[in-house]
Amino acid sequence: MEKYLYIALFAPLASSLFVALFAARPKMLFTGIVASLLIGVSMIASFILLIDVNNYGPLHVTMMDWISAGNLSIPFGFVVDEVSVIMMVTVTLVSTIVHIYSIGYMDHDKSFNRFFSYLSAFVFSMMILVMSDNFVGLFIGWEGVGLCSWLLIGFWYHKHSASWAANEAFIMNRIADLGMLMGLFLIYWQLGSFQYDVVFANVKHLDPAIITTIGIFLFIGAMGKSAQFPLHTWLADAMEGPTPVSALIHAATMVTAGVYLVIRCGELYTLIPHVGFAIASLGAFVALFAASMALVNNDLKRIIAYSTLSQLGYMFVAAGLGAYWIALFHLMTHAFFKSLLFLGAGNVMHAMHDELNIKKMGGLYGSMKATAILMSIASVALAGIYPFAGFFSKDKILEVAFNEGAYFLWFALFIGAGLTAFYSFRLVMLVFFGEKEYKKQGLHPHEAQNFVIYALVPLGLLAIVAGFFEHAFHGFVTKLLRNYEIHIDHGVEAILIAATLGIAISGIAFAIYMYKRGGFPKSLEERACYKILSNQYFIPYAYERFIMKPFTALSHFFWVSIDTKIIDATVDLIARVFYKSGEKARKMQSGNLSDMLRWMVMGIVVLLIFAILYRPTV
Amino acid sequence: MEHILSLLVFFPAMAALLGFMVNKESIRAYAIGVSAIEFFLSIILWIGFDASNAGYQFVEYFALIPSYGMSYYLGVDGISLFLVILTTFTTMIALIALNIEKDIKNLILSVLFLEMAMVGVFVILDIIWFYAFWELSLVPMLYIIGAWGSTRRVYAAIKFFLYTFAGSILMLVGILYMAHLYYQATGVWSFALPDWYMMQIPFTTQLWLFGAFFLAFAVKVPMFPFHTWLPYAHGQAPTIGSIILAAVLLKMGSYGFVRFSLPLFPDASVYFLMPVAIVAIIMVIYAAMVAYAQEDMKQVIAYSSISHMGIVVLGTFAMNAEGITGSIFLMLSHGIVSGALFMLVGMIYDRRHTKLMKDFGGLASVMPGFATIYGIMLMASVGLPLTIGFVGEFLSLAGFYRISWVMTMLAGTGIILGAVYMLVLYKRSFFGAVVHEENKTLKDLNAKELTALIPLVALVVILGIYPKPVLSTIDMSVQKMLVLMEQKAVEQSTKDLIINANTVGGTK
Amino acid sequence: MITLTHYLVLAGLLFAIGLVGVMKRTNLLMLFFSTEILLNAVNIGFVAVSKYYGDLSGQLFAFFIIAVAASEVAVGLGLLILWYKRNGTVDLNSLQIMKG
Repeated sequence: MEKYLYIALFAPLASSLFVALFAARPKMLFTGIVASLLIGVSMIASFILLIDVNNYGPLHVTMMDWISAGNLSIPFGFVVDEVSVIMMVTVTLVSTIVHIYSIGYMDHDKSFNRFFSYLSAFVFSMMILVMSDNFVGLFIGWEGVGLCSWLLIGFWYHKHSASWAANEAFIMNRIADLGMLMGLFLIYWQLGSFQYDVVFANVKHLDPAIITTIGIFLFIGAMGKSAQFPLHTWLADAMEGPTPVSALIHAATMVTAGVYLVIRCGELYTLIPHVGFAIASLGAFVALFAASMALVNNDLKRIIAYSTLSQLGYMFVAAGLGAYWIALFHLMTHAFFKSLLFLGAGNVMHAMHDELNIKKMGGLYGSMKATAILMSIASVALAGIYPFAGFFSKDKILEVAFNEGAYFLWFALFIGAGLTAFYSFRLVMLVFFGEKEYKKQGLHPHEAQNFVIYALVPLGLLAIVAGFFEHAFHGFVTKLLRNYEIHIDHGVEAILIAATLGIAISGIAFAIYMYKRGGFPKSLEERACYKILSNQYFIPYAYERFIMKPFTALSHFFWVSIDTKIIDATVDLIARVFYKSGEKARKMQSGNLSDMLRWMVMGIVVLLIFAILYRPTV
Repeated sequence: MEHILSLLVFFPAMAALLGFMVNKESIRAYAIGVSAIEFFLSIILWIGFDASNAGYQFVEYFALIPSYGMSYYLGVDGISLFLVILTTFTTMIALIALNIEKDIKNLILSVLFLEMAMVGVFVILDIIWFYAFWELSLVPMLYIIGAWGSTRRVYAAIKFFLYTFAGSILMLVGILYMAHLYYQATGVWSFALPDWYMMQIPFTTQLWLFGAFFLAFAVKVPMFPFHTWLPYAHGQAPTIGSIILAAVLLKMGSYGFVRFSLPLFPDASVYFLMPVAIVAIIMVIYAAMVAYAQEDMKQVIAYSSISHMGIVVLGTFAMNAEGITGSIFLMLSHGIVSGALFMLVGMIYDRRHTKLMKDFGGLASVMPGFATIYGIMLMASVGLPLTIGFVGEFLSLAGFYRISWVMTMLAGTGIILGAVYMLVLYKRSFFGAVVHEENKTLKDLNAKELTALIPLVALVVILGIYPKPVLSTIDMSVQKMLVLMEQKAVEQSTKDLIINANTVGGTK
Repeated sequence: MITLTHYLVLAGLLFAIGLVGVMKRTNLLMLFFSTEILLNAVNIGFVAVSKYYGDLSGQLFAFFIIAVAASEVAVGLGLLILWYKRNGTVDLNSLQIMKG
């Protein structure tokens, strides 16, 4: 069994390093194929582990020691249990598909090899993140995925916007990482270990105030990676990266790491329900907040990015309220349909020659039937329509909110479900149906290569059927995670489901109805609320204005005014005092013997006076 | 083996004397050979080093002026062992990468003499000798900056020399006073550090002595606000000077804290813990922000050194094994990483004769190898896990967390600000389009440069993944030192703080 | 009765005269005279104190000083003559090559 663990973990690393050998060379097809194969191997190993864990229980190995100093000892240890194996399967499955897809997508890119090296490195980091048996190991993966995300967002580094977005993502994540580090330090000094099993076994003996602090610090870390408000702006900007990256990193895997962390620390968050509730509230807020921005955006990828943000909010609601298995379930189903959505969007972008404005598309159904169908499936799943995957997981989250008596959260999520349905179908309608706006630009869109479409089919299938695994999934993960039962009357439950389905369907219907007739009137765009939404609540503007600008100004002030004009000037001033007094004193040295003798006499007199005045006591 | 330390100290100097006879064409090969032998000697030292013995090893003792307690006293323990290796390693790498034609012989001989002084500082246990090596290290550096630097080299060299020299004058007074105290207490003179360790000093005296030593170390580290010589020195120094300055000379200051301030004056160290920590935090944040405002690549790295040294100081004053071990490891990692970064800047300077970021842009497409190695070093510098930079930074901050979580958080902003200035530097010089015509034809790294850089890259990765042999050796000596500090502290509160800082759990 | 004090006062006065001479005169020859006065002032002091304590080493020192003074004058006058031959003056203000 250990063998499969190492294969699953290191196959991506092997892939990355092997491909890196050819990174500087022009495109070589085999790099993509080898990388895809190795990631596929990792996926197969993960599936084997899934079966093994199901049959024999978790697997825990310690590979070697890493850091030890004082009382601190951190090994490279890996654990494959019910939670991590689900993450592994999800990650490797989506990664394999994205790798295969990228062979087609990056076909014409001159840095083809480099791309696969980064992409595999990302998979490796993500595997470390989910498989580690201690918090610092998780932090390795945490930072590793951050690095790969930086590399991949800025993949087309010649574009200013891409490298800017990459830096923004890295720095925003670093802010959150500091919070996480603080949480880790606190855990260490309270419990003396970073191992999950030790920490979770002993955490309940701690003072509740300290548990609360740990919970808050760790969640700050999760907020950065999962792009929760107010650290959310990087996710939309991260869409500068190649589309497969957006699908893999910024939809399916990395951004869910924060949710994974909260699920993993379920034992801890169970002890502090008030923090959990705060997490859930923030999640619900983000669910609505992001969905509202998705409503008016015209950028194909940004819409999906905001939708990801919103869905992450849903996951945090479930995780915050203690329904960890439901959060994990939504994480998994979301990974399938959201990556499908992104990859479909990638096909559209290719067909449109990297045009991203959905207002300039329209009517692509005619030329891209397969993509249109796949994206529609993903959108339906996202909207949460029975029997697609999203229905099962998202509906459960609403039920959890209702069950906990958090009716306000439930209502927010309920509205969010409607908005989700609307913007998903706004996108589908504007891209695939309606007027063929692209003709004005003289484009001739074409469908992606066949193997690309075939690669997407498994995701499409999963987006449809994944929901039916709910019971098996529940039984499997609750061996480790705290079970969460929903106690709502069947009648009420039926009404809730009906209401949620109702609002989702009406959202879809409204979108289809409006955009069939050519969309909303232009005058709407002049309204203040539209402006607020399309400018993302002016938050990026505010960050620029109130954080970046003052920071730059302050840095300059420190350098020019304080460092140069005060500190260094003081140092030079001291030097100059000596220098000037020397300059003055050299007049003494006139070269005239009489003068010198006079100075000498004066010196003797002064010394004599000292000799007379100073009487040693001894 | 019993004279290996003497050999380590004086071999470079002897070789330098012989080097006067070597002709100009072969002096480079000669220097690389000498520094390689020196490096292998230090590796032999490590191999022969007994990792289960926390005390001084390879001790050599020879009484020079017994009536005044002056002796020739060498020894190495876990704290200094790796600093010695760092010194020999960096010198070797810097000599391999050396790319200066003018008066190369003089330069190389200066570097070899400097190596003697640096190794001497780390292995000597007699304080008078320590002071001598400490000051001696200034002279070759003065010469290196003053003779091979850029336009304002003389100003920078003199500033460097006078500033650090003035700082250490007070230390000499402190040393003499310490010896006097020892004489009063025991009736014999001694300048041997292990003897001094045994001495309990009254609290107020400790405060004064701590202050006297502190200034010398603070200027060297350099701590805010005594740091302004550093940007000038780095800005003007030739590449080899910057590498050695950043990698080794700064470490002498932080080594001084660990070797002298903490074990000699435990009560004073605890008493001054908060002020020092506040200064360290100012260093971290302030230097990081100033680094962000720089336009010259080399200045960015120079200020980043100050910022990182802030974390080193913070870790040292954590008063626990985690923090101090971490800070010593961070000294090593910062030596390697900043040395490599200065070397990289030097390589691009050799090609373009400018260090301003605005003159570059898009280098990633012209020089992919250079950009890759730069990127690795950058990630190590911002402390990415599995690179060497993470281990020390993590441990230092973790250690200081026990003292104060608020201050750790403030210092932790260094990891954010570090990412800010480093990534901005990288973006401005490596990303974007190639706008300057001259940059389009730049050559990627050549074989000589790769020979110098690849060992650094390898170390960054290897010690990032498996730092344990180094850490455990350091840790043992650090723990011994902490026990000593706890025993000889005169105030009960100091003892309590040290014990508390080293205990997991509790109410804080 | 002439006591030690008288001798010491005399020595002090002579010393003061010599000192003023050293400071005020610009003729090198006069400077030598003043130096001699200074040395002899000290000699008087030595001898007087030696007599007072009955310790001969003071008088010994006086002889020693006389010897040194004589050789000093010999060397000094030699240099002076050389300087006079070269520059035609023994004025102090002409000797300024040590100006800082």
